[in-house]
Order: sequence, then structure tokens, then C-alpha cells
Amino acid sequence: MVRSKTPLFLLAVLLAPALVGLVVFRLYPIALAVSDSFFNMLRGNQVFVGLDNYVALFTDSAFWKSLQVTLWFNLLINPIQIALALGLALLYVQKFKGVAFYRVLFLIPIGVSLPTAVIIWRIMLSPDGLANGVLNIAGIPGQPWLTSESLALYSIIAIATWKGISYWMIFIIGGLQNISPEIYDAAKIDGARAWQRLVFITIPLLRPTLLFVLVADVSINFLLFAPIFMITQGGPADSTNVLMYEAFKSGFIFGDMGRAMAIIVVVVAILLVIVGLQFRLLNGKPEKK
Amino acid sequence: MQSTPHALRKGIGFGLKHVAYIAIAFIFVLPLWWAIVSSLRPNTEVFADIFPFTAKALIPSPFSLEAYQGVFDRGFGIIIANTMFVAIVTMIGGLIVNGMAGFAFAVFDFKGKNAILTLIIISFMLPFEAIALPLYTVTLQLGWLDNVAALIVPSVANGLAVFLFYQFFKEVPKDYLEAAKLDGANWFDVLVRIYVPLSIPTCISAGLLLFVFQWEAFLWPLLAMPSQQFKVIQVGMAAFQQQYQTIWNQLFAVSVITALIPIALLLPLQRYYVQGLASAGIKG
Repeated sequence: MVRSKTPLFLLAVLLAPALVGLVVFRLYPIALAVSDSFFNMLRGNQVFVGLDNYVALFTDSAFWKSLQVTLWFNLLINPIQIALALGLALLYVQKFKGVAFYRVLFLIPIGVSLPTAVIIWRIMLSPDGLANGVLNIAGIPGQPWLTSESLALYSIIAIATWKGISYWMIFIIGGLQNISPEIYDAAKIDGARAWQRLVFITIPLLRPTLLFVLVADVSINFLLFAPIFMITQGGPADSTNVLMYEAFKSGFIFGDMGRAMAIIVVVVAILLVIVGLQFRLLNGKPEKK
Repeated sequence: MQSTPHALRKGIGFGLKHVAYIAIAFIFVLPLWWAIVSSLRPNTEVFADIFPFTAKALIPSPFSLEAYQGVFDRGFGIIIANTMFVAIVTMIGGLIVNGMAGFAFAVFDFKGKNAILTLIIISFMLPFEAIALPLYTVTLQLGWLDNVAALIVPSVANGLAVFLFYQFFKEVPKDYLEAAKLDGANWFDVLVRIYVPLSIPTCISAGLLLFVFQWEAFLWPLLAMPSQQFKVIQVGMAAFQQQYQTIWNQLFAVSVITALIPIALLLPLQRYYVQGLASAGIKG
């Protein structure tokens, strides 16, 4: 048996670089965020202020507005992305002549980084851009996609969705390929229609994959930063000012690191609660033997 | 005449299917296509043929390479080289560091193994953005601000890559190992001669993940390199956007270059990338 004499020195050498890296650059920053949120900078000195940063945060209407924007944004973008990614994955796994060509095209946004997508879409959605030009054919007047308080958040959702769904599609394809084709054959013999097979076979069997995608997608969208930084800077009228941008603004524009860290701690705490709820609600096995 | 309506229905079904696929593919391809076309036009012509919209908006005419010349004159070549350097060093370091850890988890049993593995899985579920702001403070403490090390070192150890290697090495039959040990091979030989050659597909998957991660990094280089002496591509592109708001064709040229390099890597290797991600999703 190899296991009976595990060479401890070798084990340490193999594990140390990765574990030290993960501890110093993943775990330690989280601990640091919590501890820094109890301090403020006063004339160049870090001063312990207890819960002051949190008290200030919870009595600040800008924070509540930002929290509201973050929650609304996530309530929309996550179900939209997952539903579209599922639909796209179902199209991707179809087998017919020529599907390989479409598959390549479906994967294209994966290679396009979010900042790149933002630059291209910002010009496409500009007043003279391609989007308004195409709408113009249908007689629809041009819209101020990125500069109107009522549209900017939804334009950002559209851009992030365009960029994101191919990526989530990949995970769902992995899940679909794990479902044995015999189940579908049996259902077909029993006369189940396509939508019935989707609702009663595909989605229940995909549940672990969909749960993973939901958790990962929510985590990313809860902390989405690049499009807001690059397009709207939280505006117009704070309509796109999500908490991640509010934290960046506090720390790196107004130099208030204590507030920034307090926001990060709150964001991650909310995120953990949401993820916990998702596991509770979706991971429960059906109650039958 | 029983077959005609059937054939017709089949034909219509076939046509509808392709129309649906083309429509969806169009939405994915159109922005990138328009970016490519517009990057190949003179700046004054970028918005031509849009009001009213004609199909001519989707072909590069009049044709011009001035945008590409322009962005390289503004030093975009150095930014590409910087990013390549950061991404490739991270990739090589990451393959070694995470591969070793994955090997150790797969081959040896030790106390606390499952607890550490769970922590590693949690570490890659939590997005980098969550720790970017406090990581800035860590970088200050280390004195690495505006130092390339701040971009590379924190990204080398990667929970997802450890997990991919662990998953792969776990499946390698232990007989190989026992046989090699009986032949008197030492651990280093076992690792390099047996495990590394077997794991080439996993190396490609993990390498692509690490490369793409660095290529797409935005928030972290923005915070870690405040003086912008050493620019990487996503930050350079965003700065370019702020600085030259209306040089549309050059903005497009920058976007096209930034997108085409990873696409050129991912398309031939998509199988590995897809497998890497999908297996993480299933088992994670």
C-alpha cells in the first residue's frame, strides 16, 4: 500500500504553494475586509471605530437605494440568464446536419471579455448606433439606451446577458449529456410531448447543474462591476449604482476604505444568505423512498 | 400523393429550424461583426448606412486600415505584450502549483483532506471581485502596488485548477504508481514520467482557464496598478475608451484585437475548455 507511508515532506512541498497562495490571497483578504470595516483613517492613522461604519451605512439613504438597485438588478438578470442559457443549451445539443456551424457561433461571446462587449455595445446603443438604426426600419424611434434613467439598468442587463449566457450554457450542456437517452426514448414511447419531456424529465434531472449555475451566476452578477464603471458610473440619477460600484466609489474615489470594506462585508454576507437559501430550497431531495 | 404533404411539412420544419438557429446566431455574431466591419472603415464612415439602415452597413466599404495603424501608434502593441506576459507566466506557474496540489490530494491520504478540499471549492465559487478591494490592502502591506507581481502572484493558486487536476489524477489507476515504486522510481519520476504525460488534456483545460482569467481581468489590474505604467489589455481598453471617446474605428479595432486573440485560442481548443468547465459544474 502506498497510503501506509505517506511521505510528509513531499506532501508539504506539493501542497504548500497552492495552499499558501489560497490562504494569503483568498482567505486573508476576507478576514481583512471584516477587520478593516471596524476602522477608519483619521489623519493617516487607523482608528478603531467599532460598528460606526455599519451604523453610518444603515442610516444612509444612498446605501439603501444602492441595495435596492442591486437586488432589483439580480432579481431580473439571473432568471433571464439561466432561462436563456437553458434554451440555448437545448438547441446546442440537437443533432442535425450543419449544427456544428451554429455551435461555434453560439460560443463566440465566451471569447469576448465583458469590457470588450461593453465597448462594442456602448457604440451600438449610442443614439446614432446600429440598434437604433435597425429599430428605425420598423418605424420605432431611437431610444436613449444608456443615458435614460428608465433604460440604463436594462441595457446593462442586456449587455451582460449577451456576454454571459454562452458561458452558462456550457455547464448546462454538461448536465444534459449526463442524462441517459433511454429515459427520453421511454417517454416518447409513452407519448410524452416535447414540452412534457422538458418539464418532467429534463429540468428535474438537471436540478444539480441548474443549482450550480444559479449559485455561480448570482455570485458573479451580485458583484458585477465593469459595465457600470465603464458606461454609467452608477448614473443616471444613481439608477445603476449597484453596491459593488458604491464600494469602489467609497474606497477609491472618496478614500473612505472603512465604508468600502463595510459595504463589501454586507454584500458578501447577503450573497452567502442568498446562496444558502438557494441550497435549502432547491437541493432538498423529493420526500419519497 | 401521400408523400408530398409529408415531404413539404418536413421541408418547412427544416427551414423553420434553420431560420431559428440563424436568428439566434445572428444576435451573437452581429455585434462582433459590426465591430470588425467598422474597425476596417475610416472614422468618418463608421455610422454611414445606418440611418436609414442598409445592408451596406455590414460590409467594410470604404475600406481602410487606418484604425489598426492608429491603435498601434498609440502603443497598443505594448499593452498586448504586457498582457501576454502576465497571462503566460500565470498559466505556467498555475499549472505547476495547482497540478502539484491536485496530485497530492489525489494520491495521498492525510488528516483534514476533505475539509481543505471543501475550502478550495468554496474559494473558487466566491468571485474574485468579492476580495478585490481587501486584496488591495494586502498588496499595500506587501509593497507590491504598481508591481507586476501584484497581477501575477495572487492569480497563480487557483481553486478551480486544483480541483480539475484532483478530479483527473484521482481516476489514474493506482497500479501504475505501485509498479513504478516497485521498480525503484522516486516520487519525482512518478510525477513527471507518468502523471504529467497522462494529464495533458487537463493541463490544456486548466491552462486555458488561467489564461482567459488573466486576459479578461479588469477590476483587479485597475486597482493594483494605479499609476498605469504597466497596462494590461482590459484596463488599457477602458482607458482608451475614456480618452478617445469619438475615435470610433480605433475603439472597434482595439475591441476586435482584444476579442480575437482569446477566440483564436478557444476555437481550436474549445473541447478542452468546455470539458474543463462542465466537469467542474457537475462535480462541484
